[in-house]
Amino acid sequence: MFGEISALIVLLPVLAFVLTLFLGKKLYSGGALLPIAAIAGSFIISLGTFLEIYPDGMVQQSWPWFAGMNIGILIDPLAVVMLMMVSFVSLLIHIYAVGYMAHDPAKPRYFAETSLFTAAMLSVILSDNILQFFISWELVGLCSFLLIGFWYHKPSAAAAAKKAFLVTRVGDVLFLAGIVLLYVNISEIIATRAFSIEPGNFILQFKTMFEAAKLIDPTQLTLITLLFFGGAVGKSGQFPLHGWLPDAMEGPTTVSALIHAATMVTAGVYLVARTFPMFVATPATISAGVPDALLIVAYVGGFTALFAATMGLVMNDIKRVLAYSTVSQLGYMMLALGTAGAVLGAKAVGISMFHLIAHAFFKALLFLCAGSVIHAMGTNDIREMGGLFGKMKITAITMLIAALALAGIGFPFAGLGMPILNIGTAGFFSKDAIIEGALEYGEVKGDMIPYGMAIIAALLTSIYIFRLWFMTFTGKPRSERHAHESPGVMTRPLMILAIFALLFGFSQAGFYGYVEKNFELMNVEIAVHEGEAFHPSPIIVMLPVIVGVLGILISYAIYNRRMLDMSKIISSGNPIYKLLLNRYYEPKLAADIIGVKLTHDVVAQSGEFIDRKIIDGLVIDNIIGKTVFQLGELVRKLQTGVVQNYASVTLLGLGLLIILLKIRFGGI
Amino acid sequence: MSYVLLAPEILLTVLALAVIFIGLLVSDRSKNMLGYISAAGLVASLVYVLGTKGEGSFFYNALVIDPLSQFFKLIFIVVSLLAVIASIKYFENNRNQDEYYALILLATVGMMVVASANDLVSLFVGFELASMSTYVLAGFEKKNPASLEAALKYFIIGSLSSALMLFGMSLVYGVTGSTNIPAIIEFFKINPASGLDVIAMVFLVAGFGFKMALVPFHMWAPDTYEGSPSVVSALLAAGSKKMGFVAAFRILVLALVALRADLWVTFAILAVITMTYGNIVAISQRSIKRMLAYSSIAQAGYIALAFVVTTQMSIAGGILLALGHALMKGGAFIAVAVVGYMVLSDNKNAKNIDNLENFAGLGKRAPITAFALFVFFLALAGIPPSAGFIGKFVLFYSITVEAVRQASTWLLIVVVIAILNSALSIYYYARVIRYMYVLPPAGEKIKEPTPYVIAIVLAVIGTIGVGLYPQPFIDMAMNAAKVVLGV
Repeated sequence: MFGEISALIVLLPVLAFVLTLFLGKKLYSGGALLPIAAIAGSFIISLGTFLEIYPDGMVQQSWPWFAGMNIGILIDPLAVVMLMMVSFVSLLIHIYAVGYMAHDPAKPRYFAETSLFTAAMLSVILSDNILQFFISWELVGLCSFLLIGFWYHKPSAAAAAKKAFLVTRVGDVLFLAGIVLLYVNISEIIATRAFSIEPGNFILQFKTMFEAAKLIDPTQLTLITLLFFGGAVGKSGQFPLHGWLPDAMEGPTTVSALIHAATMVTAGVYLVARTFPMFVATPATISAGVPDALLIVAYVGGFTALFAATMGLVMNDIKRVLAYSTVSQLGYMMLALGTAGAVLGAKAVGISMFHLIAHAFFKALLFLCAGSVIHAMGTNDIREMGGLFGKMKITAITMLIAALALAGIGFPFAGLGMPILNIGTAGFFSKDAIIEGALEYGEVKGDMIPYGMAIIAALLTSIYIFRLWFMTFTGKPRSERHAHESPGVMTRPLMILAIFALLFGFSQAGFYGYVEKNFELMNVEIAVHEGEAFHPSPIIVMLPVIVGVLGILISYAIYNRRMLDMSKIISSGNPIYKLLLNRYYEPKLAADIIGVKLTHDVVAQSGEFIDRKIIDGLVIDNIIGKTVFQLGELVRKLQTGVVQNYASVTLLGLGLLIILLKIRFGGI
Repeated sequence: MSYVLLAPEILLTVLALAVIFIGLLVSDRSKNMLGYISAAGLVASLVYVLGTKGEGSFFYNALVIDPLSQFFKLIFIVVSLLAVIASIKYFENNRNQDEYYALILLATVGMMVVASANDLVSLFVGFELASMSTYVLAGFEKKNPASLEAALKYFIIGSLSSALMLFGMSLVYGVTGSTNIPAIIEFFKINPASGLDVIAMVFLVAGFGFKMALVPFHMWAPDTYEGSPSVVSALLAAGSKKMGFVAAFRILVLALVALRADLWVTFAILAVITMTYGNIVAISQRSIKRMLAYSSIAQAGYIALAFVVTTQMSIAGGILLALGHALMKGGAFIAVAVVGYMVLSDNKNAKNIDNLENFAGLGKRAPITAFALFVFFLALAGIPPSAGFIGKFVLFYSITVEAVRQASTWLLIVVVIAILNSALSIYYYARVIRYMYVLPPAGEKIKEPTPYVIAIVLAVIGTIGVGLYPQPFIDMAMNAAKVVLGV
């Protein structure tokens, strides 16, 4: 029953968007209740659909749209877990926002936009074809632009919105190019009769794409998947298109939570997971001398995980630390798809998605805790905080839980061969699996670099997040502000999310088993590396946890005990510190060199030169424009208003027509 | 043969008579309900037309029900419905409302008869029924000289065109000995072209061209659309104009194919001149209704491209654009009626109420109307996702395909001219949009009357809906195009 009405998952928030936009002003709290009710509805339908299709069902609905394209719904295990997560996290963020945005006069616009944002993301998830996926994906981008620039009167917010829009656009163009290339290739194999679309299926549906992938020229397929990955790099803030994500912090904190945890950034990972069979179909290309798409996914992911974590170490804005943490964790998800995908097949999707969802819970929690702190302190700068533990107990404890989850703290009993369950936070279960996958990849392929990057990034993760926590909640207050705990409408979502951050990990085995089946249900085979069962030594199994704990200790020593005075390092103009604090000069590079010098000075200026001097110059003083106007004035005079003239023109026209025919056919 | 298929025509005819009859009995104030009754009747007809799939022919093959007739009936009923809903406000408390609604309903019946006509006689009767009703409607504001002038010009040029058309029909009858369209086409197929029959066709083109407002048969249109009450302009531009197209589709395409008369150059010239003329003159207009009239002429030029290549897809494109144009142009004229209402409520004796200046700051004064106009203008310019885009896309695409197939540079040039024309038209639409959203408002915010809002919103939903989910309409248009080509 829920499966049949699954279109409502998207339509309810869309409806809420329209109603809130037009009627919000007259309703309680800017119409916040409409999106909340709508998204709660989406969540209930998602949950109901899950219960209906579990363990091996799917919902497929499809309507023809135009020219062989369709609009459709595909809810398979992969989609249903995402749907539940997105609607649930978004619901909590919306409830929290009632408190957080209480004093903002533009509330109706805020709630309308977040509602549309959620709808767009849900539509990305349940698309059954890549075109609809892309359209929703673009809508997500548009909404993020609107929301990051929500306080558009702030120049920094307007600039951040523009940057987010432009940088993700680079990825979007690649993605669109990938879709076009795919369409051309599928049309080609249909034209050569090597492939045909069964009735009821459509050309850009995922099913069709997966079937066709086997027949497409391997080089082309690699190119297509890399272009798709380019889109994912933009949306998920992977290197080198990561720059927009930290800047996106200019929006309200709830928007940051929405972008970073539930929607938008995970869309990129979801894209790779969704089209995973096409990525896996590519190893055949290695023999053709083309680089393996998965290898590139793994390296970009691993490098981003490490690269972003280094910057997280030095940021002083509480939200920016979290932003780099998001970039880094998304890198892990990509790494999982790239490495585990090459050796474990479809299981990689399970591993990556599990981290995605665990991350959604603890990252949403981290952001909302940060929001709670900012709400209380009125500043984002952790150097001005300190000693908040006593004043904001709920926020402090829930944030500690989230930090432990992000650092991946737990104990791998089962991994060491003990007959009890592993115990730990959600992040422990999910990240451990990724690192293990990278290790197995290293063993099989003899390439330990991804594993190395993953381990070092894990250490840094633990350091930066506990630096944040210790500096915010422990020690002495470093400013005169009077903090207070946030209202219940804000703390309750924190507690709910904390429970998930703590306990979600235990669903690991069931989750893997469920999501792994995803592509089997679609009759897509994914090759698995055949080999002996993999049994790493205890120390290797323990390593991720060891580095996690080590990171906490380092942070504790430096930022709580003050055993090492960081101020010396900072003030001495340490080049590494400067490099990190300036974010590897990426904003400078992006804004000054690519933005101003290249785009504005070279491309735009020369374009203007051509337009003004050459085009306008050639047709001196805009001749074409003027002629059209003068012609218009002239012809207007023909319309005399005298009806006799009208009749004459009509008859004249008739006469001309007959003469024309006579010339053409002769002899009439 | 079951006459149930003719239920919409029967219903609307009975309703028109009933409306007049009720008008005799009730007080002037209660006449406001007649608008609701007429709207209800049109909705019922619309549901019936959408819901029934049957085909058939009636009265010795004088009328047929087929996908072509049903598609155009859909257009006619939708336009009349929009006009009637808007008229509930426009003619509120007018003591001649009974006649007004009866005439609109009869005009609709006339158009529907034309859509179904399979015989020259029924075609002519339908044409005249619709024309006579609309002559009166155009002059319905008796105290407004502009309205009277509009009606008189429309009547004189309309009579001339009827005469030309009738003359063409009599020539056809003289040559073929039949007034039944399939019989005529059969005759043309068997017998060689005599020369006279091609001239007869030209007379028919002139007659239909009057309704379509093709250059050079367009002269009446700007004056009439400008002078008539806005809701009647909506009916004329969006609805009755399409009579010419359906008649031309019904008889000209097949007849010309049967005659092996390769008229594509003629139609290409007519279409190109019409669209270019319409767009260029529209640029220099200050009266929005006049601008819409010229834009309507330009749109007729695009639709006439369907006759240039006469493939199934090009005809489907023309039909789709006719549907799109009905929604966009009908909605736009009704939106202008709201502006008129707004201006008159500021100043009772205002002149030139549709002047561009009155649109300044409309986005603040009447947000729904302004947004709707914004949508209609973008749609008229052919920007997706809108009905206007779908129609133009299918049409231009089909001609490009044909140009490539025939390796014809001339056809490609025609497409390029059409696309340049679309670009040109953005100029005058964008100018109004600038007035609406950039310039400061000239007065207070008004409360937009509910009937107008309903009509406008329906038109917006239709315009965007067809653009977002075009497949069913493309399928319907393709089926209709099959009928046109007789396959």
